[in-house]
Amino acid sequence: MASISSRRLAKELREIQSEGCPVGISLLEANDFAKWLFTIEVMGDSVYQGEVYTLQFRFDSHYPISSPAVQFVVTDGKEAPIHPHVYSNGHICASILGNEWSPVLSVIAVCVTLQSMLASCKKKERPTDNDRYVRNAPENPKKTLFHYDGEHYNFKSTYLQD
Amino acid sequence: MKVQVKRWNAVAQWRWDTGNTEQEEDSEGDVCGICRVPYEGCCPSCKMPGDDCPLIWGECTHVFHMHCLLKWIGTAASKQQCPMDRKAWVTAERKVGTT
Repeated sequence: MASISSRRLAKELREIQSEGCPVGISLLEANDFAKWLFTIEVMGDSVYQGEVYTLQFRFDSHYPISSPAVQFVVTDGKEAPIHPHVYSNGHICASILGNEWSPVLSVIAVCVTLQSMLASCKKKERPTDNDRYVRNAPENPKKTLFHYDGEHYNFKSTYLQD
Repeated sequence: MKVQVKRWNAVAQWRWDTGNTEQEEDSEGDVCGICRVPYEGCCPSCKMPGDDCPLIWGECTHVFHMHCLLKWIGTAASKQQCPMDRKAWVTAERKVGTT
């Protein structure tokens, strides 16, 4: 029997293919219901003008009850945007990917949120604890517990145990 | 002319009484926000729609397939909050058959 995640993702994919993605977001690859790739760019005036980033989604069989693992692709010459919430290994500190995930959200909703997170950035800089985090970061960003602090760009991250 | 009815077939249609008015039909409001399957369909874990795969209403007025909502509420990540408004989930009492 098809898993919960594949039925829901098939629906989302059909919608993307029939209605298209929001401006600045496009589907790059969705060959299965385990990993999808999107390109994302900020439209209009921003510190990321003309820059295109690749966003990777990984889903487990419990999606959307379980949140997707979302990160920027940093292989094959691709880089993560320089942003106070984005680590150089592509991991993203965003509340909706962690403790504010809700199963009524969707892949496109996540893309749009991350796009506006980039759009509202005034100054390109890495998180203050970037080097420390990247050195020991788990492969899957879902195993990191980020402490959200939108005011001060002062992130702490701890690693969850398996 | 005299017509004699030899055979007839009754056809019935049902839908959950979600409190939505006719105008709201065909909008996003007709699907469970969690699985995106229409309320009258069943959740992804069930094979047959109907009483075995009922809806659940929250005090916040949001409606889901009961099985979908319970799966979410059963996770620690849900913090027992409604997926729509993140308010504490309280199941609304509904009297069946009195509308």
